[in-house]
Amino acid sequence: MRRPTLPTSAAVLIACAFSSDQVNAQNSYVIGYITDLSGPLADSYTPTWEGFELFIKSLNDRGGVNGKKVDVVLDDDGLKADRAVAAAKKEAERENVIGIFGLSLSSTQAPVFVEMRKAGVPVVTTFSGILDALPPSKPFSYSTGVVFEVAGEAIGELLPKIKPNGKVVGMTFDSVGGRAAISHNKRMAESLGYSWDEVLFPVTTSDFTPYAQAAVEKKPDIVVGHYGSGQNLGVIPALRRSGYAGPYVVASYGVTEDTVRQAAQRAGNDPNVYYVTRYSTVYDNTPAVMEVAAAQKKYGTSKPFSSMHITGWVLGKFVEQALTACGWPCSREKLDQSIQHVKVDASGLTGGPIEMSPQDHYGPSFWRLYQWNETARRMEPKSDWLKKTGLKFPVQ
Amino acid sequence: MEFAATVVILTCTYALLAAGVVILYKAARVVNFAHGELAIVGGYVFYSASVLGSDSLWLAIAGALVFSIIMGVTIYMSMLRRLVGEPLHVTILITIGIGIVLKSAILIIWRAERLTIDVGVAPALRLSGGASLSYMDLASVAVTVLFFLALYLFLTFTRMGIQFRGTAENALLASQRGVNVDFVLALAWIIAVIAASLSGVFFGSRAFLSTESVTIGLAGLIAALVGGLDSLRGAVAGAFIVAGTQYLTVRLIDPVLSETVPFLLLLLVMSIRPWGLFGTLEELDRV
Repeated sequence: MRRPTLPTSAAVLIACAFSSDQVNAQNSYVIGYITDLSGPLADSYTPTWEGFELFIKSLNDRGGVNGKKVDVVLDDDGLKADRAVAAAKKEAERENVIGIFGLSLSSTQAPVFVEMRKAGVPVVTTFSGILDALPPSKPFSYSTGVVFEVAGEAIGELLPKIKPNGKVVGMTFDSVGGRAAISHNKRMAESLGYSWDEVLFPVTTSDFTPYAQAAVEKKPDIVVGHYGSGQNLGVIPALRRSGYAGPYVVASYGVTEDTVRQAAQRAGNDPNVYYVTRYSTVYDNTPAVMEVAAAQKKYGTSKPFSSMHITGWVLGKFVEQALTACGWPCSREKLDQSIQHVKVDASGLTGGPIEMSPQDHYGPSFWRLYQWNETARRMEPKSDWLKKTGLKFPVQ
Repeated sequence: MEFAATVVILTCTYALLAAGVVILYKAARVVNFAHGELAIVGGYVFYSASVLGSDSLWLAIAGALVFSIIMGVTIYMSMLRRLVGEPLHVTILITIGIGIVLKSAILIIWRAERLTIDVGVAPALRLSGGASLSYMDLASVAVTVLFFLALYLFLTFTRMGIQFRGTAENALLASQRGVNVDFVLALAWIIAVIAASLSGVFFGSRAFLSTESVTIGLAGLIAALVGGLDSLRGAVAGAFIVAGTQYLTVRLIDPVLSETVPFLLLLLVMSIRPWGLFGTLEELDRV
C-alpha cells in the first residue's frame, strides 16, 4: 500500500478539522460579536466584549443553553463602518451565525442594521445604541446599550440631585451622537428651569484647554461632558486649570471608573466629579456585581474590572435568555421572535429588568448618578435608579 | 493673561514638533509623516519608565532619552540610510509606514490605553481669574527655549554643527571632504526624535496619550510648512501662528472649526509663498 504523501496527509487533516468544525457548528449555537478591538476606542469597547465573554465562558461551563454550547465568532471593526459591515456579512454568510451582538460606535451601527435587516439576522447592540431600537422599532434591530438621546434626557433629569438650579454648560465633540445627547440634555435641563449653553469641539481634539476656557467663560454652575474616556481625562483637568471648581458630570459613554478616578486625581483629588451610568459600577457591592467580579477573577481579563464588563455581562444574560426561549435548533427568525419577548432579571446590575417587546426593542432603561469620593476612593450613589421609557422629547 | 499663557504653551509643543520636521528636512531631505507617532510613543515610554521607577522623574527622562536615541539610530540605519538620494515621495511613504508600525506598537504594548502623564501637574502659578499653570507647563516653556538655544549653539559654534550644516547643504561634497555623513544623519534623526518625545511628554501632561493623539503631528507639520521647511526660526514662527490661530478660532469664531483653520492658513501661505514665511526659494527648487 502506498504511504500517503505529505500533501495528502495535510489535506486529510484539514478535511477532518473542517468536518469536525461542521459537526461542532451543528451542535452549538453560533452567534457573532463585532466590536472595536484595535481602533481609537478599543480601550472602551474591549472591556464590554470581555464582560460578554466572561458570561459566555461561565455559561458554557454550566453546560450551555438547552444542553448546547454557545460559540462566539468575534470580529474587530477597528471603529470603521465598512469593516463592521464586511464582518457582519462574513458572519451571516460564511459563519452562518443566528444573531450578531456588540457593535461599536453608533456610526458603525446604522449600516450593519441595514444590511442585517436584508439578511434577516437580529442585531443587538450594547454600550452605545442608535434610534433604530427605540419605538417605532425597526425589525431585527435591538439595543441594551446607551442610546444618546435617552442618556441626554436621563442626565438632564438627574441634574437637580447636584444643584437645584443655575446654568448648565454641555460639552461634546462634533458628532451625530454627541449632538443628539446634548440636544436632549438641553431640552430636559431647560424644562426643569436651568439655563443652558454649550461648547462643541472637533472629534480629533486632544488638547482641551482652549475649549475648557471657552466653557468657563460662560460661567457654568454645572458642566456636563458627553463623550468618551479620553476626552474626560483631558477636559476635567483643563476645566480645573481654567479656574472652574464646580460640579462636572461624566456621561458614561464607555467611561470606566478608573478613568473617573484618574481624571479626579489629575484635577487635584476632586470630589466634585459625578458619573451617570446605565449599569452598576464596580463599587456597588451587590451579589450580582460580586458574581461578575468572581468570573473576572476566574477567567481573567486584560482590562481592569469596570462597569463596561458589567455592561457586557448583562448582554450575555440577554443572549442566554433569548437562546433558551428559542430552543434547539434555533434559526434567525426564531431567535428574532424570542428576543422580542426577552425579560432579563438584571437586579444588582442596573435598576430593573432588560425587557423587550415587539414594539419596543430597547425597553425601559435605568440611570443612576454617582459622585466620586476621594477620601474613600470610590463612587457613591447620589440617586436612586431613574427609570426612562422611551423619549420625552421627540427627535428633531 | 490666560490667553497668552495658553498660546505660549501650545506654541512650545508645536515648535518642538516643527523643529524635528525641519531638522530632518534640512539634513536628510526627509519630510517625516511619522512625527506625531514618534511624539506620542515617546510620551508613552516616558510614562512607562516613570511607572517602572515608582514615579521617578529622572528614570522617566532617561527612559525617553534612551528611546529617542535608539529609535533615531534604528530608523536611519535600518531604513532611511538606503534611501539617501531617492526621490522625496519614497521617503515620505517610508515614514508613513513607520507611523503605522508605531501606532500598532501603542496597541500591542500599551493596549491602546489612554494615559496621562501626571508628573508635575500640580498648580505652580495662579493666574488672574482662577486659572493656573502647572510645573509641567512652565517646564515646557523652559525646555523649549533651552532646546532651541542649544540647537543654535550646536549648529553655529561646534565642529559637528558645521559638519551638520555642510551635510545639509551638500551631502556628497561633505562626504568627499571626510565628513561621516551617516553619523551626521543618524544624529539628525536622534535630535528630531528627542524633540518629538519632548513634545509628546508635554502634550501627555496637558491632554492625554492615545492612538488618536498622534494627530498632533499634523500641527507640527503645518507649523513647519507655514514657517518654511528649512528654517528653525520659521518653525517657531509657524508654531506660534498655528497655536494662536487655533486658540482665536475657539474663542472668537467656532470651536468646531479650530482644527480646520490651520489647514486653511496653510493653503493660504502655500498659495502666496510656497516656500513658507522663513523658508528659502532655493530649497523649494531643489525639491
